[in-house]
Amino acid sequence: MADTTLQGEFVTLRPLAVDDAALTFEWRQSVRAVYLNAAAPSVELQARWIASRPNSEYNFVIELKDGRPVGMVSLTGIDTTHRHAEPGRFLIGDEEAVRGVPAAVEAMKLIYELAFDKLELLRVHGSIASDNTLMIKWQKFMGMTEEGRLRNHFFMNGKFQDAVLFGMLAEEYRAKAQPKMEGFIKAARRRK
Amino acid sequence: MSKKDEVEDVIYQALKTLNQERGSEEQVDVGPGTALFGPDAVLTSLELVSVMVDIETLAADDFGQPISLTDDKAMERDPVPFVSVSALTAYILELLGQ
Repeated sequence: MADTTLQGEFVTLRPLAVDDAALTFEWRQSVRAVYLNAAAPSVELQARWIASRPNSEYNFVIELKDGRPVGMVSLTGIDTTHRHAEPGRFLIGDEEAVRGVPAAVEAMKLIYELAFDKLELLRVHGSIASDNTLMIKWQKFMGMTEEGRLRNHFFMNGKFQDAVLFGMLAEEYRAKAQPKMEGFIKAARRRK
Repeated sequence: MSKKDEVEDVIYQALKTLNQERGSEEQVDVGPGTALFGPDAVLTSLELVSVMVDIETLAADDFGQPISLTDDKAMERDPVPFVSVSALTAYILELLGQ
């Protein structure tokens, strides 16, 4: 797994480690995590899954500046030929700890900076289960464009759901998403 | 119903929609003092965005006028207009020219 730490104003993204297995396993049992891909069935298997992450993936724990881990996020599927990648495994595991902190916004902004500024990719993309309306609204609001739909692609919550496909180009990030994210971070800074 | 009541009703509708996504133990208290953003906020980041998007959609339908609650003008305010239901009500009334 790529060994990179990303520093923001409110959060740090540090590499996911095997020692995070118990915590991330606990987060994966939450209601919101039902929309992620199936979790490992035990802490041991979660540790094995973490240990087996390839160097081509960036898997992060989102930490507050006081060191408290509050969530996770990844950048995977990095293709330097076609210059695209997939942000995902995005979960705030400790909602109480991030109250009033733009942890989700800044974590996603750091991921986009990694993708577009450091790795010089041209596009990020992903898919969201159609019942995950909060995340669909969030991604659209933050600059993603809905690009299509795979019908009955996921079996989640006891039923088949469409996969809603999203994408964002580097120029769209810089023109729309980045200013919006910075606006939220600035507003949170004033409320500190 | 006064325009203020109508605007509050739109905000309450959006919060009630959110409550449908939450468990029975996690219902948001819906009222003028409900904190939406900042250290006292009862909403997560994803929920805040969802509520803002729903309010913008409902307001456009009900008042026949598009409004933006998170454009540069809104975000430059200190505090931002969506810190609470009452502050958001006042801001929407201002956008509607009331």
